[in-house]
Amino acid sequence: MPKKKYYVKRKKVCKFTAEGIEYIDYKDLDLLRQFVPVSGKILPRRVSGTNPIYQRKLTRAVKRARLMALLPYIGE
Amino acid sequence: MPLYELGLILSPDLDSAERDAFVGELRALLGSQGANVVKEDVWGKRTLAYEIKHKREGFYLFWQFEGPGSTITPLEYRLRLSDQVLRFLTVNLDQELRRKRKFDVLRAQRKARPKPAAETAARVPGGEA
Repeated sequence: MPKKKYYVKRKKVCKFTAEGIEYIDYKDLDLLRQFVPVSGKILPRRVSGTNPIYQRKLTRAVKRARLMALLPYIGE
Repeated sequence: MPLYELGLILSPDLDSAERDAFVGELRALLGSQGANVVKEDVWGKRTLAYEIKHKREGFYLFWQFEGPGSTITPLEYRLRLSDQVLRFLTVNLDQELRRKRKFDVLRAQRKARPKPAAETAARVPGGEA
């Protein structure tokens, strides 16, 4: 009999709801980098667990940061 | 009058005198439009995430200023004309902070009435958003 696989389900939490961050600043690179891997892509909601409202704000902030050459459009 | 945030990337080749002259000119332009700079944040030279106009570095400068909406057009016109500016971005912070302010007011009201606040908290775990 094949061995059963077990997964530990971790509850995803929205960082912005949990910490009460309401304005996502495009200059806050430490925050944005948590949602942008080295590939330069924005992590999807299904991975990060961010609430829709904040995901949209996050997207806008990341795109602004890209315009200001703080984050790359294309990563490694 | 709304609060705006201006982000500027200036050319790294400028010496500090040239930069001061240009920044002073911008300040005068803002002043003539009836706007005043509330907060200044100078990051200085920083490596760009990608090349702009064949430059790998840029001088970062951020301003928060209060002024009428009519300030933005002449300001951006001036920035677009200049060779010293690699990139700029103006953001209306009032618009961005609208949601935060709204909830701040609600929160203050909820605090003023402690009893119903406890009930809503029990009904909706996790609160708003």
